Amino acid sequence: MIPSRRSFLLGAAAMGSSVLTPDVAEAARLLTAQDAVATDWGLVTRDVEGDIAPHRLTRIHGRAPAGLEGALYRNGPAKFRRPGGSAEHWFDGDGLIRKFSVSDGEATLAARFADTPKRRQETRLDAMVMPGFGTPADPRAEIGSNDDANAANTSMLKVGDDVWALWEAGSPMAMDAGTLETRGFVTLRDDLKGMPFLAHPRVEPDGRIWNLGMNGAQAIVWRLAADGTLENASVVPLPRASYIHDFTATARHLVIVLQPWVQVRQTMPFSAAFDWQAGTGTQVLVLDKDNLDSRRLFDLPDFGFFHLGDAWEEAGGTIRFDVCAHADMRFAATGATEILNGVPLGGEPARLALAVLSPDGSARLDRTTVVAEFPRSDPRRAGQPRRFSLHTAGESPDRPFATAIGLHDWSTGQAHQYDFGPDHVVEEMVVVPKPGQDAEDAAWLVGPTINLKARTTELHVLDMARLSDGPVASWRSHTALPAGFHGIWAD
Amino acid sequence: MKIRIALIAAALVSTAAFAPQARAQDSSVTFQFETGRTGGTVMVALFSSGEGYNRDQSVASRVVPVTAETVSVTFEGLAPGSYAMRSFYDINDDGEMNTNLFGMPVEPYAFSNNARGNMGPASWDRARFNVNGAVVQTISLR
Repeated sequence: MIPSRRSFLLGAAAMGSSVLTPDVAEAARLLTAQDAVATDWGLVTRDVEGDIAPHRLTRIHGRAPAGLEGALYRNGPAKFRRPGGSAEHWFDGDGLIRKFSVSDGEATLAARFADTPKRRQETRLDAMVMPGFGTPADPRAEIGSNDDANAANTSMLKVGDDVWALWEAGSPMAMDAGTLETRGFVTLRDDLKGMPFLAHPRVEPDGRIWNLGMNGAQAIVWRLAADGTLENASVVPLPRASYIHDFTATARHLVIVLQPWVQVRQTMPFSAAFDWQAGTGTQVLVLDKDNLDSRRLFDLPDFGFFHLGDAWEEAGGTIRFDVCAHADMRFAATGATEILNGVPLGGEPARLALAVLSPDGSARLDRTTVVAEFPRSDPRRAGQPRRFSLHTAGESPDRPFATAIGLHDWSTGQAHQYDFGPDHVVEEMVVVPKPGQDAEDAAWLVGPTINLKARTTELHVLDMARLSDGPVASWRSHTALPAGFHGIWAD
Repeated sequence: MKIRIALIAAALVSTAAFAPQARAQDSSVTFQFETGRTGGTVMVALFSSGEGYNRDQSVASRVVPVTAETVSVTFEGLAPGSYAMRSFYDINDDGEMNTNLFGMPVEPYAFSNNARGNMGPASWDRARFNVNGAVVQTISLR
């Protein structure tokens, strides 16, 4: 790449300290404004001032497919800035739970903030004071436990009749699935109060829930029945204190990927505790679900990651899983701060790869050139052999957010894509199986985009078997919600 | 953060030892603990200086059986001055402040003024209150 003034400036911003100087931010903003790209990133991390009352969405394209009935619950930060102080990292805003309901061909949207102790305290002070992933603690913060800083802002889980809003360093927050009213933190057993529960549980096709909670070089392994009853909780040691946002699982194994972004100190914000240890590789720890003491360790080359796809085991014992592989974790350390300041990253986006763990103990990472984040796949096949990975696409060094949705076929190597265009920020989409059909691509893909030009949030439904044709139905809200992280579909 | 929170537990668990109070005076402080449940005991330690508070040298302590959803304890005969209080609710009555598998407290704890710390025990400055006459504080231990 030929260095340009822009790449130099953005590179300097991305590699520098976590505090972006106003000069660099302004210079980057001016340079970006000279380009003919949609640059109103402010909408993507805008503040929402209150709950969004249920409202009917306007249909702008196609029609809802018969048989698509249910709700897409999504979570993501939506309040970052207050007069007395602001969050300094994208991951540290207050969780806004969005419910897109589809029924009888109509779509509605409602959204409510998780009513956390954090949000109550920060509302009272009119300042964001809690420490988080990339935000230091304000001296005014009153923190008696990790759940006092819990933003409940990352993902959703359906448990019995409730939905849980998940963070990653504290307890799940139970919400009423109908009204989105906050019920309170979930304590799965009295002696496990406050134990962390990652935002990426793995749900088996029969509903059983596996999850981890992290504490340096140890993890709690959670096993829950579909109704949320705790079946088991035990602590396992890990080879190193890697940052773990996500893990994966086959039908018989837990697969824990240990990247070389390793916690080396106790400090806040959390991301400042980690160093990128280049050249030390990425390890993969495989545990038997039936016997967590049965461990195998595999070695892969260096890569950073947030997100993995569901893993599967082949008849011969080979384990495969997809990963959205970053070159490093610069985005986590500093990039997500810059996004909050409206600045593109200047860094390379994640690309889809397939990790292959062989029974002989060897392992390899088969990289593709496909730009990919927010991987999802068929929930009917969680932990089972499958062909497809759904993902967002279209990020580039100048463009930190996705414009497209992609579908990778591992059996043929074919990559299908639908690009919504530069006016759209495409969020994670979920795979919704068509009722009564079993083929892997007999599914709808449901998820929102932010239309930067119209300044609205849109909801789209695509047919997985005809993804390149684009949406079969689209609706538009009267408002634009900031980008969310992760969601679930519930019938 | 988790490690620092574990320090709260350590600080509270060791509050059993205390020095005898200095001299009798007419002032007093009453703490009304709202536990929201019955059973177990509330462990209470009173401190009369920032140094004592930080070194865990209490001037008085009490063990209060939780026979109702609100229980009271009164420290009488206090000299007028600044005080602070630490407490925890020993729900299962095992004499310890129980922690989870990562060392974080799972039994409720509280400080005078219902003060909260900043990733650690509430500071003397946050928990300190003035006693001159009869003082009453309602403390949440839920």
